[in-house]
Amino acid sequence: MYSVAEIDVEICSATKCRLCTQFCPEGNTILYDEVRGTAYVAVDRCKGCEICVGICDDLAKHHAIKMLPIDQVKDGFEISKVGFLRTLVEPE
Amino acid sequence: MSLKTIQAAPGFQDYLPKEYQDLLEDGPFFQQRKVSELGSFKEALEEHPMCAGCAMTLFIRLCYIGFPSLEHTVICGTAGCGRLAITQGAVPFVYGNYGDTNAVATGLKRGLEIRFKDQPKDVVVMAGDGGLADIGFHAVMHSWFRKEKFTTIMLDNEVYGNTGGQDSGMTQKGMVMKMAPTGKKFEKMDMLGLAKTAGVAYTARIAPTNPTRVANTVRKAVLIAREVGPTFIQAYTSCNIEYAIPTPKVMDDARDVEKDRYGFQEYFSDDAKTYWEESEKERKRLRRAAKK
Ligand SMILES: Cc1ncc(C[n+]2csc(CCOP(=O)(O)OP(=O)(O)O)c2C)c(N)n1
Ligand code: SF4
Ligand code: SF4
Ligand code: SF4
Ligand SMILES: [Mg+2]
Repeated sequence: MYSVAEIDVEICSATKCRLCTQFCPEGNTILYDEVRGTAYVAVDRCKGCEICVGICDDLAKHHAIKMLPIDQVKDGFEISKVGFLRTLVEPE
Repeated sequence: MSLKTIQAAPGFQDYLPKEYQDLLEDGPFFQQRKVSELGSFKEALEEHPMCAGCAMTLFIRLCYIGFPSLEHTVICGTAGCGRLAITQGAVPFVYGNYGDTNAVATGLKRGLEIRFKDQPKDVVVMAGDGGLADIGFHAVMHSWFRKEKFTTIMLDNEVYGNTGGQDSGMTQKGMVMKMAPTGKKFEKMDMLGLAKTAGVAYTARIAPTNPTRVANTVRKAVLIAREVGPTFIQAYTSCNIEYAIPTPKVMDDARDVEKDRYGFQEYFSDDAKTYWEESEKERKRLRRAAKK
């Protein structure tokens, strides 16, 4: 079993922070939803390094990221299935 | 080599892989993307097999943001960890045999200059410390002596990472490595000093602790190489496997090493300084004009 990063949307969207998107070593793995104003993770790309957790806790001081065993992730976003999206909010 | 050549023929676009379509629709071409936009556009760097939490991976990712015109860039690399990611980027990659990168890049740059007279093409070598300071040393030095106009980026993890942890010329003295069981006997090579002596126009020493600074430094090095002469970036990109750094501590290590012995440092030749100051002035003027 391995764990992936999960971002608490409520905490993150209350900030204007985008710090973890700049420090994740992987491309297009922490994405940023401009409509919801939150970062979110492509669970199929996350390698579970936990660098983002340290960035959010120690640099951003928002404590919005936790590691979660992959089998406990509900409705995880998978970029390999749907491709790049500017937002996860469905158009009306 | 340009968005025109990767654009799909009408009718075929729907059949291309999603990743390809995303690059055309939301990609980084024909605009200077910023580090602050990361997460909001499709990056040129695709999924790749480098280790989890590798600082080299982060550095490479940021390089793609720094390149001043991605669609007119060719990367020359070789065996080593970085190549595993660089070959998965939407930028042409040319493999120079291990040790040959700077000779191959010389030919590439000169050839492209003849073929595309009116369109500058940026050639960038990205390779490991072993590939550049040891086995490719002569080709690197001679490309500098000849003042070849391309950028050399050393991914300095201070080890032969890809082959399992042998010491390189860039490993620190005293480190116990696979081929140095009692500790390396010699000092870390001063490649930045050698670059200056060889007449390189711009050098920078950097660690990936400040993403915007990484992108800006890469951009500067590529632009100076385009106009003035060879440029060199030496980047601390720790190997968490061979140096046994737990991945959550990779950025702490980068900050510690930066503070201790790898602080940000830049050098400009006189020509490079003049060019850079002029071009900064021009950019400021254009920004002001655009605001009006
Ligand atoms: C001519 C030649 N010699 C040796 C090798 C084997 N080889 C592959 S990667 C590598 C070491 C890579 O070390 P470095 O350049 O520092 O890159 P890193 O993997 O550390 O990023 C070597 C020796 C090779 N591929 N070609
Ligand atoms: S560092 Fe934390 S608060 Fe900042 S964007 Fe990432 S998850 Fe949100
Ligand atoms: S755990 Fe690592 S790979 Fe996963 S999102 Fe965080 S920084 Fe990126
Ligand atoms: S072996 Fe080291 S340098 Fe290579 S990908 Fe893994 S952590 Fe990075
Ligand atoms: Mg190396």
